[in-house]
Amino acid sequence: MKKVFKFKSELFNKESTWTHDENLEKLNGKVWAPKKLAEANKLLRKLKTPLPK
Amino acid sequence: MKYEMYSEYSFTNDLGVVDFISIGKNGAIPKRITFTTTELENVYNLAFGDVDENGTLNDYRISDNGDRNKILATVFNVVDIYTKKFPERWIFFSGSTKERTRLYRIAVGINLDELSQIFDIYAFVQEELKLFAKNMEINAFVIKRKVY
Repeated sequence: MKKVFKFKSELFNKESTWTHDENLEKLNGKVWAPKKLAEANKLLRKLKTPLPK
Repeated sequence: MKYEMYSEYSFTNDLGVVDFISIGKNGAIPKRITFTTTELENVYNLAFGDVDENGTLNDYRISDNGDRNKILATVFNVVDIYTKKFPERWIFFSGSTKERTRLYRIAVGINLDELSQIFDIYAFVQEELKLFAKNMEINAFVIKRKVY
């Protein structure tokens, strides 16, 4: 039986329905948007100021 | 915020992958939002795009489905839910092109007052991190849920 959750967004004050998908779990470990991730890491590496606490 | 959004999602347990369907003038288009670890602890890269036939994420395709604002609102809704579950995580995001980064900058700028109530919003300006302000020229955003 699929797990289904309802969440209310604080931003939109609307409810959304979230259904767990076993097939998506099989994608676990996959690197998504590798080019964009590489660009993100590049920027983060150059960061001169630390992320605020 | 008073925007339409998609409200039916499929997800993985860690919320690393969230799928929804865009419905518009070109039909039903599967969309995917992903959160991936970066080299910096507690910083996650947000990627978003169409799901290709082979199941990969295509963040360059322009689907032109006539629902751009609804999709942007949906992405923010997912970030809202994600950061409720993981309030300690920073979310890094930028567009896959300069035009898309500009679009995100405008969208965040228009809604900055409401977004700032929930998130601390910083922007990469060149290689420096600055508190985001409207019309700032930026490379990317990094945001975190405010903890009260």
